[in-house]
Amino acid sequence: MRKTGFLYDERYLLHRTGVNHVEIPERLEAIYKGIKDAGLLPMLTVIPASRADRKWVEAVHDKALIDRLDTACCSGYEIFESDDNQMCGETFEIALLAVGGVIDASRMVMEGKLDNVFCAVRPPGHHAERNSAMGFCYFNNVAIAARYLQIEWHIKNISIVDFDVHHGNGTQHIFENDPTVFYYSIHEHPSFAYPGTGREFEQGKNKGFGFTKNSPVLPGQGDAEYTRLVKRDLFPSFEQFKPEVILVSSGFDAHIDDKLADMCVSTEWFSWMMDNIVRMADLYAKGKLISVLEGGYSLERLPELAANHVKCLLGI
Amino acid sequence: MFISRTMTVKVIIIHPDADIFEAKEKMDTYHIRHLPVIGDNNILVGIVTDRDIRSALPSSLVKHFNERQERGSLSEYKVKDVMTRNPITISPNQTIQDALLLLQRNSIGALPVVDESGMLKGIISVRDVLRAFINVMGIAEPGIMLCIVMDQKAGQIKKIVDVITEENIRLGSILVAKYWEKDKRAVFPYLLTQNVSVVKSKLKSRGFTLLDPMKWYIDQLPQYE
Repeated sequence: MRKTGFLYDERYLLHRTGVNHVEIPERLEAIYKGIKDAGLLPMLTVIPASRADRKWVEAVHDKALIDRLDTACCSGYEIFESDDNQMCGETFEIALLAVGGVIDASRMVMEGKLDNVFCAVRPPGHHAERNSAMGFCYFNNVAIAARYLQIEWHIKNISIVDFDVHHGNGTQHIFENDPTVFYYSIHEHPSFAYPGTGREFEQGKNKGFGFTKNSPVLPGQGDAEYTRLVKRDLFPSFEQFKPEVILVSSGFDAHIDDKLADMCVSTEWFSWMMDNIVRMADLYAKGKLISVLEGGYSLERLPELAANHVKCLLGI
Repeated sequence: MFISRTMTVKVIIIHPDADIFEAKEKMDTYHIRHLPVIGDNNILVGIVTDRDIRSALPSSLVKHFNERQERGSLSEYKVKDVMTRNPITISPNQTIQDALLLLQRNSIGALPVVDESGMLKGIISVRDVLRAFINVMGIAEPGIMLCIVMDQKAGQIKKIVDVITEENIRLGSILVAKYWEKDKRAVFPYLLTQNVSVVKSKLKSRGFTLLDPMKWYIDQLPQYE
């Protein structure tokens, strides 16, 4: 069994998104309950969040964005820059706690205290761009973790795997020119789904050309197509790129019962995917894997999906 | 939406060892500008365009050369000598938007459509995309296009469509586009009627601004990089 961490903090529940929103605190409660009810908590190292040093957020985002969010929260705004980004007065602090928690988790993996970790955070991050918040995201937790690994630990090859049903436009654009970060995303085809990016021909720019790979999937597809594309597009890249650390943007909204998108992926597929990413981590990265929650909105399915996800990390 | 439905399936192709005159004749006969080059095993190996052929031939202004002699030596040049190898392609289950972006970003006129094994399934050119949009917009049917400026807020299109419905007019298509003022949109209903005067005056009385379509400047829109 591996030494697996579980980043979870009740303060993440304090980010309120108002009535009728889907990115709600209950998601995290469902995830926690699922992991607890499966008897997994005693096997995990539970990590509380800490507030990130602003310098790490500034490593990815413009100071202007950070200041705008801070000001908006202090001023009591309930929407930040995009209609989807509903928030409350605590959001700025909680976004910093999400970043800080993911950095702490990453540090523990790098120090060898943990083999891998699942970070159950809110708000999510992969849509957040350098200078804009969107798609329920404020700070790009995974991108900041990647930068932290580059700057603090001098990691030269980082793989980011994003299986959230929405393309991680923020993460892709942040590392578009960087050949030391390989960004892979499998998501609903941009002609049919938010955010409209992640086309097959987007492969990175300049020096980063060839270090971005997108697998857009047409609506209504399920396990067979997802498996085919991951085998065709992702596994060979691991072999070539040989990442020293793997970061995973774990979104569970491709599930057939998730109403936010049009995909038909089964519960079992998510376990298949995670087992394979863990296997790749063992092969190339000495097991170092940091998984960070992105989307996933079915309160009925999240408990089982989260428990299975953690079981894959534990190796049980 | 999909390439597989919009592409031309009966593709005129050419072999890499064909000479450049054969390529030119095919293009002239079929009125096309792009020939996918198919090698052995039916695999796409390149694309040759009208421009590649013209660059290889002597100027049409030079009338003095001995045509038979020159043609003789020029026909030593094969398609494989002038074609673009490894052309940009698209797969059949991608969408028209993918094709549009690829064509525009790479400044090319056509995309061979290939499946995962590299076999040619069709070709989609700017002409095919234009045809698709003409069909979608219904502008090949007789009608009149209005140009309305509206605020970008919920419920506006409904108000516009309500007016059209009240007058019992059929709607061919409706296009909503960016406008150069922030928070506004330009709406182009294509109405299948000869007479739009009542519609226009009703729209104006309900607070909409009607623009002279001649005064809708594409070049003043926010630039797409």
